[in-house]
Amino acid sequence: MITVKNLHKKFGDNHVLRGINYEIDKGEKIVVIGPSGSGKSTFLRCLNLLEVPTEGEIWLDNDCVTDPKVNIDKLRQRMGMVFQHFNLFANLTILENITLAPTKLGLMTPEQAKEKAFALLKRVGLEDKADSYPAQLSGGQKQRIAIVRSLAMNPEVMLFDEPTSALDPEMVGEVLEVMKELAEEGMTMVVVTHEMGFAREVATKVLFMDEGVIKEENEPQEFFSNPKDPRLQDFLSKVL
Amino acid sequence: MGDIKRLFTIAFLEKDRWQLYFKGVGVTITVAVFAAVIGVILGTIVALMKLNTGRDGKKRISGVIADIYIDIIRGTPSVLQLMIMWFIILKSVKNGILVASLSFGINSGAYVAEIIRAGILAVDSGQMEAGRSLGLSRFLTMRYIILPQAAKNALPPLCNEFITLLKETAIVGYVGLSDLTRTANQISSATYEAFMPLIGAAVIYFVIIKVLTILCGRLERRLRQSDNR
Repeated sequence: MITVKNLHKKFGDNHVLRGINYEIDKGEKIVVIGPSGSGKSTFLRCLNLLEVPTEGEIWLDNDCVTDPKVNIDKLRQRMGMVFQHFNLFANLTILENITLAPTKLGLMTPEQAKEKAFALLKRVGLEDKADSYPAQLSGGQKQRIAIVRSLAMNPEVMLFDEPTSALDPEMVGEVLEVMKELAEEGMTMVVVTHEMGFAREVATKVLFMDEGVIKEENEPQEFFSNPKDPRLQDFLSKVL
Repeated sequence: MGDIKRLFTIAFLEKDRWQLYFKGVGVTITVAVFAAVIGVILGTIVALMKLNTGRDGKKRISGVIADIYIDIIRGTPSVLQLMIMWFIILKSVKNGILVASLSFGINSGAYVAEIIRAGILAVDSGQMEAGRSLGLSRFLTMRYIILPQAAKNALPPLCNEFITLLKETAIVGYVGLSDLTRTANQISSATYEAFMPLIGAAVIYFVIIKVLTILCGRLERRLRQSDNR
């Protein structure tokens, strides 16, 4: 579904991604872990071109994301993204946050979008917040809304960029719960996180990134019980 | 006391002079309002031109044009700009109000552009990223997400700019328009009494600007709706 070929990214002289090759199949849940500065967020943000790669190719099925002539807006409609800092639209109500993109892009009528929004809000237990503004919500609520906002576009894959890192500890659970449900429904997911429990439980594959490359890749059971890369062994000993 | 009454009569009542002040206020407000409208539209366009960088973050030709415009306007006195408009560029146009509105509008646009640009830059970059990640174009995200928030940020300095603009129209006398300031000046010359016309004009300016300030405050409160916690 997503194919990454020889991906490089430089910020000035800072060579953040140094050649990443990976293939993600439909329905997979890829969890990416690694120390800060390892390039894992940059890798994720390259997938929907929020960062433009310096070199290499990214394919979504048969469309080349990195082709300068491609209509990136069309491709992004198929890839939802959830951010560490939620990034809900501060000037819009929760309902408007969810319905803006589907209606303005002509994918749904306002009525359809509203219906879909309420169905999704109900799923995450926040239908009473439809008319609130983002500033009135807690972090956990905001992040659940951010997930819903992406889902309203019916994406084929969801990208999560440290979705629980900015949350109070007691709110982490409610967000992970929504993500687990999503995983069970078969959504293709790429998750950058520090939640090892989530990786163990939900991931089909866990990737360890360090110094701009994928140092190790394995199924969660084997990944955590039998790490091979010395840097990963060191990392796991510190976080587990 | 009797003296003040006499001065007041000379300055405002004799020969129905109060009508002249009214006409003067009309000219002042007309020029200021038209100029403000032109300034905001022009300023927004110029701000977007300046912010519109290429994929690699480099300046485009539109940005260079915007820079030159802002440099020229900010680098020359507005009186000169007005006179150049009236006596050179739009020499054939005989409508002073039109030329003055245009001149002040073009002048104000440069300042408004920087105010709006600052307003846009103050919006968290995550807002644009979120819009783009949903598949919204740069334009749609600007239109529905960034600009409304930028307008809120820009409102206090924009009100400042309108107030400055309104007072700056006091120089339209240079191209023969009888605004409030020129009217007051003419009446003081004609009556050999400067006190009442000049103080009167000052009070009128003050009242107009006070009303403007109150309106700005109301608008600001309304735009801050989404900040309520």
